[in-house]
Amino acid sequence: MAILDRPSVAAPSIRFSKFAMIEAVILLAILLTPALLWSRTELITLATNVLILSMLGLSFDLCWGYSGIMSFGQALFFGVAGYVVALVGRDLDFSAFWGTLPLAMLVGLVLSLLFAVFLLLGRRAPTSIFVALGTLTGSYAAERLVSGWQYVGAGNGLSSVKLLQIGPYEMLEGPGFYCLAFAALLGSYLLCRFLVRSQFGLVLAGIRQNEERLAFFGYRVQIFKALIFSCAGMIAGLAGALYAYHQGFIGPGNMGPGLSTTAVLYCLFGGSGTLIGAIIGTAVIEVLSYQLESVQQIKQFWPIILGLVLLLVVVFKQTGLLGFLVSDRERIGSYGVAAAKNRKEES
Amino acid sequence: MHQDAKNVRSTDMNRRRLLTGAGALTAAGWIAGTAGGWLLRPKWAHAAGPIKVGIATDITGAIAPSGNANWQVAQFAVDGINKAGGILGRPIELHLEDTASDPKVAVGNVRKLIQEYKVDVVLGGITSAMRQAIKDPIVNRGRTLYIYPQLYEGQECTKHLYCTGPTPAQQCDELIPFLIKKQGRKRFAMPSANYVWPQLLNKYARKVIEANGGEVVFEEYYPLDQPEYSATIAKIRDGKVDCVFNTVIPPGLQPFMKQLYESGFQKNGGVVTCVYYDENLLNYHPAREMDGLYSCLDYFQTIDDSFSKGLQAGYSKMFPDTKYLFTAGSAATGMYRGIKFYEAAVIETKGDLHREAVSAAMDHAKLANGPGGGAEMVPGHMHCKMNMYIARCKATGDKASYDIVGKFDQVDPKEC
Amino acid sequence: MFVDAVRFAFDILSFTSVMVLVVLGLGVIASMMGIFNFAHGEFVTLGAYTVFLAQDAGLNVWWGIVAAPVAVGLVGLLLERSIIRRFYAAPIIAMLGTYAIGLVIREIVRSLLGGHYKSVPEPWPGFFAVGGMDFSIWRTFIISITIVVIVGSWLFLVKTSVGLRIRGSLENPMLARASGISTSRLYALTFAFGSALAGLAGALIVPLYQLSADMGLRFLVQGFLSVMLGGVGTFEGPVLGGASVGALAAGLPWAVIPVLADPLVFVIALAFVKLRPQGFIAKGRS
Repeated sequence: MAILDRPSVAAPSIRFSKFAMIEAVILLAILLTPALLWSRTELITLATNVLILSMLGLSFDLCWGYSGIMSFGQALFFGVAGYVVALVGRDLDFSAFWGTLPLAMLVGLVLSLLFAVFLLLGRRAPTSIFVALGTLTGSYAAERLVSGWQYVGAGNGLSSVKLLQIGPYEMLEGPGFYCLAFAALLGSYLLCRFLVRSQFGLVLAGIRQNEERLAFFGYRVQIFKALIFSCAGMIAGLAGALYAYHQGFIGPGNMGPGLSTTAVLYCLFGGSGTLIGAIIGTAVIEVLSYQLESVQQIKQFWPIILGLVLLLVVVFKQTGLLGFLVSDRERIGSYGVAAAKNRKEES
Repeated sequence: MHQDAKNVRSTDMNRRRLLTGAGALTAAGWIAGTAGGWLLRPKWAHAAGPIKVGIATDITGAIAPSGNANWQVAQFAVDGINKAGGILGRPIELHLEDTASDPKVAVGNVRKLIQEYKVDVVLGGITSAMRQAIKDPIVNRGRTLYIYPQLYEGQECTKHLYCTGPTPAQQCDELIPFLIKKQGRKRFAMPSANYVWPQLLNKYARKVIEANGGEVVFEEYYPLDQPEYSATIAKIRDGKVDCVFNTVIPPGLQPFMKQLYESGFQKNGGVVTCVYYDENLLNYHPAREMDGLYSCLDYFQTIDDSFSKGLQAGYSKMFPDTKYLFTAGSAATGMYRGIKFYEAAVIETKGDLHREAVSAAMDHAKLANGPGGGAEMVPGHMHCKMNMYIARCKATGDKASYDIVGKFDQVDPKEC
Repeated sequence: MFVDAVRFAFDILSFTSVMVLVVLGLGVIASMMGIFNFAHGEFVTLGAYTVFLAQDAGLNVWWGIVAAPVAVGLVGLLLERSIIRRFYAAPIIAMLGTYAIGLVIREIVRSLLGGHYKSVPEPWPGFFAVGGMDFSIWRTFIISITIVVIVGSWLFLVKTSVGLRIRGSLENPMLARASGISTSRLYALTFAFGSALAGLAGALIVPLYQLSADMGLRFLVQGFLSVMLGGVGTFEGPVLGGASVGALAAGLPWAVIPVLADPLVFVIALAFVKLRPQGFIAKGRS
């Protein structure tokens, strides 16, 4: 354990790590965007979508980047929460944010907990292929189920979602919703950051490095995985609800393998295991998609290009975009109480 | 047509297979819009600017054959108006967004029409699923006029949403009695796609069937992409069904019609009836599977009407050798009607493009001529009266044409 | 009543045959190399697409059906040599990588099809009557071909020397390599074989169902569940698993309403795998 006490870098300790700088830059960019784009409603809408989808990428990063759970079905929790708030708006005529957003988080949490219990817990530890397949199957089966169920709109999905209400205001697309999405993203991000930099995060780092070793130490590895999976599901649920309110529409395609794969792409492309990488990946891909869709020559090939990007990242540069900017050691970072004490000692 | 378009290069011709949609558009003078759709710029300008019309239809996906047809007709109609000087001297600028037969994608693209191009009216949506998905961004959030051009199940009474396609009353009230009384069909089957149009249409049709002494043997719903219909065909055979009232749509339509045909249903005297069947359905499956089918629509190409024939001639000149025909089941006639109604309304408001003004004028708009005959909006009801025709499909070789067996003038839509 | 039962059995059998072809390919790859090929569904799509291409080019559909396994086998071989073999050391990365490959293939097909759904006619359309019941000629052909392939593969494994080498590598790759068997060549052969089977399945099924870019995903999920259900590491395991899932998928709509049957197949299969992770037949590497 002594190895973990002190950073082994020989270079003098840098007060502001590159990593923190990147985080600060992103934060600034997000804060400035509405001011820069004030009149261009469609671009504010795009930016808001980026923020909401980043949360989905973030939830995947928690699973894969930090705990080694290959989840091909994060969109399931996203979509189900979206459907729940749309149904609550339609049938109960209720869309106040203090009720529906926590409901969405609860739905995401409970559903992912159920999945975690089924997939991860049990007498024998599951193989990673089983978990991956289980999440893919869950996402696919849910999409098929919803496509046929008339109550939730079947293949049509649910449209005319009742607008989100904050106090007396109804939230339409625009700077207001942008701020709301930002608040949600910030909250989720801080929660994740707190989790992964704590003692809990230390265990996760151990799981990621060598699961068997940690199990031999006496840690109930699967329980930790289940916890983080549930947390990720909760964040995905919140994102799903915001998406439904923002788009005014939720359909079976929003919970299927298509969107799940896109979440994987966002996270891997930006850099998995870093949290901020998921946000960067989402922003780059979504903005590029929006811009390049206008170039008719590329529009046909864009999904192919995205697939190739994912392939390239997986084969060659698994650290993603962030891997170009930040060193590996910095990217992984230090965790736990001991590391925090060290940081305090150094400064 | 529009050979001076700057994007036509020889490479486009070679890649025509790959860029079927895009290549044809480029060759027709469309240029890429700033963020996604296509834009047809008028040839002259007016001080007050062009009138912006947005078309949101399925250029790709399962409904593409119908979507491409009704968008080509939109171009044809707008071209005609612009050639005659536009509306009150102002040219029409046409914007197209692909709804891709996928409501999820459509919502985002339609929003572009409203937020980025700020169009004055949107026409489009083919399936009811699509209409339900895009009507909120257009009518509520976008506060824009919306004209829906396709036949559907009725009960769409949203304000500022006008429907220019046939309703169940217009399609079933004459067709079903004809089948029961004149053709002696008594036992009906209702295989249906699982979404709102078949469900509501079947409810209406069942009422008419039972009121005329017929019987519905079974009514079943399948996922849209269901490939396997052996259980259904078994039920048709065992129930001694003599008339299949089909509401299965693509992509499930093709395997269903193929499996039905191959089971010998039509050979043994069975009859299929489907209210969205027109000449365009040849793009979905071979003519022999359509032989003997009954349909009831507002227009067929065999109608002996000089105005309609003139329209067809003009359309064929603008799109020679196109496989997307100007027909009624593909929302093409409704699209034509919708654009002409809009023109009439704007003329009445003397150029005021605000939604409330145009909507008020459109409420009682009339068309003296159109495909299949004129049409007239029923004031306060957001739907229009039109001529309806019952037709029987005849397949000769690999071509299909429709023989008209009944004509009904200015049928009331009975909606809202 | 008897007629219904026979018809029921026949429908299940024909769908199951296609499932078995797909799963066999997936299973041998998983058993041999220990990686799960998430692009397998798209190989099925490619097989179907090859047939469509042949028909579109004006050739007889049979050319397409014969060409499909060859073409897809070649594609598989190329992919294996260039990309896939980097993944053998890390199975989890293999999942992601093959999934990405599948995504690329799927989107390429989608753009080539223009997002449309395409139909291909049956090369042998129609029915033949036996004892007053109609049997689709094409479905019978599918069942026959599947039986031929299974028997042929089994004979190949058991009777030939290459088959012996394959079985050896399956049981103990280290020992096989130590004995001088070129496992890398065997892996390439296995991957090509698995892909070819998927291509054949796609070619056989496209006259019945339609060609679309997304047809592969269903086969992928069902295929994987079948492999895990049947058990990795043997020849019979995936066949059994494929038959079970195929039977379940074809049979359940007769018992439950169709819209519920669809997702229920997956839930049931997944539950089974959870209860018995090693599958029906547990042998060899897991």
